[in-house]
Amino acid sequence: MDITFEHVTHVYGRKTPFEKRALDDVSIRIPSGSFTSIIGHTGSGKSTLVQHINGLLKPSEGKITVGDFVIHAHEKKKDFKELRKRVGFVFQYPEHQLFEETIIKDVCFGPMNFGVSDAEATKRAEESLQLVGLPSSFWHRSPFDLSGGQMRRVAIAGVLAVRPQVIILDEPTAGLDPKGREEILSLFDDLHSRLNLTVIMVTHNMSDAANYSDQVIVMGEGKPLLAGSPKHVFLQEDLLRKVGLDIPETMLFLNKVLDKAGSKDKIPAFTIDEAADSVISILNGVKDHV
Amino acid sequence: MFNLVIGQYVPLDSYVHRLDPRSKLISVFLFVIIVFLANNWLTNILMVLFCFAGILLSKMQFSYIYRGLRSVLIIVLLTFVLNLFIASGGTTLFSLGWLHVTTGGLTQSFFIAIRIMVIIVVTTLLTLTTSPIEITDGMESLLNPFKKLKMPVHEFALMMSISLRFIPTLLEETEKIIKAQAARGSDFTTGSLKSRIKAIVPLLVPLFVGAFKRAEDLAMAMEARGYHGDAGRTKLHQLKWSWRDSLLIFAMVLLALLLIFTRN
Repeated sequence: MDITFEHVTHVYGRKTPFEKRALDDVSIRIPSGSFTSIIGHTGSGKSTLVQHINGLLKPSEGKITVGDFVIHAHEKKKDFKELRKRVGFVFQYPEHQLFEETIIKDVCFGPMNFGVSDAEATKRAEESLQLVGLPSSFWHRSPFDLSGGQMRRVAIAGVLAVRPQVIILDEPTAGLDPKGREEILSLFDDLHSRLNLTVIMVTHNMSDAANYSDQVIVMGEGKPLLAGSPKHVFLQEDLLRKVGLDIPETMLFLNKVLDKAGSKDKIPAFTIDEAADSVISILNGVKDHV
Repeated sequence: MFNLVIGQYVPLDSYVHRLDPRSKLISVFLFVIIVFLANNWLTNILMVLFCFAGILLSKMQFSYIYRGLRSVLIIVLLTFVLNLFIASGGTTLFSLGWLHVTTGGLTQSFFIAIRIMVIIVVTTLLTLTTSPIEITDGMESLLNPFKKLKMPVHEFALMMSISLRFIPTLLEETEKIIKAQAARGSDFTTGSLKSRIKAIVPLLVPLFVGAFKRAEDLAMAMEARGYHGDAGRTKLHQLKWSWRDSLLIFAMVLLALLLIFTRN
């Protein structure tokens, strides 16, 4: 399911003193099966952008295509159920959406809404809970007895149980400890590579964007400023800094090493291993010059 | 759901905005009483003119006031129709069975519709030009004499400002949860009444859980910052009564006198 935005504009609070143009003539393409990260400063329109993909927000102008589902501006009421079945959405702090008496019931909520039978919904719920790594001893407890991190996993299971083809993550790791973060991200990385799930992640963490995605879109003041592979995007350090963003820590470190070596090059390296290899090659290079 | 204008402060810089909240509160209070003095065309036109003057001085857009009015238009219409049939006097215009519409009834209904609308315009103007904090500060200061009677005025004011402060937060939270559940296929807008009521549960439970959590956090934060109630507490923004506020009160008294002399 390819996703394309064509000249999409979104205006909040039209014709009030609070009018705000959150998206301004956005045209982007997210290929099927890709892992796309959307980065940008607070208020740059990232969240607004992704909420258009499953019809939670409607465009003021322009056209959005998700697979064979088309959303036009100025369209009358439309049934988005078919779209939402295929596009899952994990909100920021998704644990706030839990409401059922037991965890398993809460995870069943999504599939049941989309007309799946009781037995099938339970089966899917159990699968999803296993995927997010919540032991079965918890399943019949109240979701409100869990820790924050566990609640988040239950909420994510609730989205996965619908079996979407596209999943949108709005800052999925906000407020988690490093271990929890690593676990959640590798879960989606795994689903992405194993099931060919299209993943769209809104994030503030440059390293996460660099390490997991194959496309990065940089948003600034309602416009996509830059789009491309992480290597391409993170070499534009000046532009990123101008819109209040940064480059991954590994690159920051490498820049210092390169500086000491008297080189003006930039090396895109996102993992510690890559960075270490780069350091070795830089040091060898320095030696060669001496 | 989210374009309710009543109780939404629009920060502009105008004469009305800069008035002391106490004078605005007193004036609105007086106005709501004075309105009942109007009982003929001249006095009603005076009330409407006063509203227009207020709106012009506040630099508020008319369309914005109209939005506030639109949400209660149905009530105005309903009272208009009811009065049309109930009030009597003058000559009969037409009859529907035992219902009679008279000229007296017609003018009476117009007056009552105007009365409701000017009251709403004036109160909307108050909340549009005065931030919730200012309103509660003004209230607390106006109710100060009751402290002598051991009334917990400060606590009431605090409760009010906390509730007002959290209305936008709760609305935001509601919107977020509606979206989150809609993304999971929940539908609040279509289906039978029963299914719609059922769809409210996934909204209400997280909302209440969040509200209680927030209340706990707030209590903790207040305690951590040494909140100990009213005694010896000073204010960051001192209320200042200027000549403009006296002028407003004077204008209200003048309006009242004018109405007393021109009414039937």
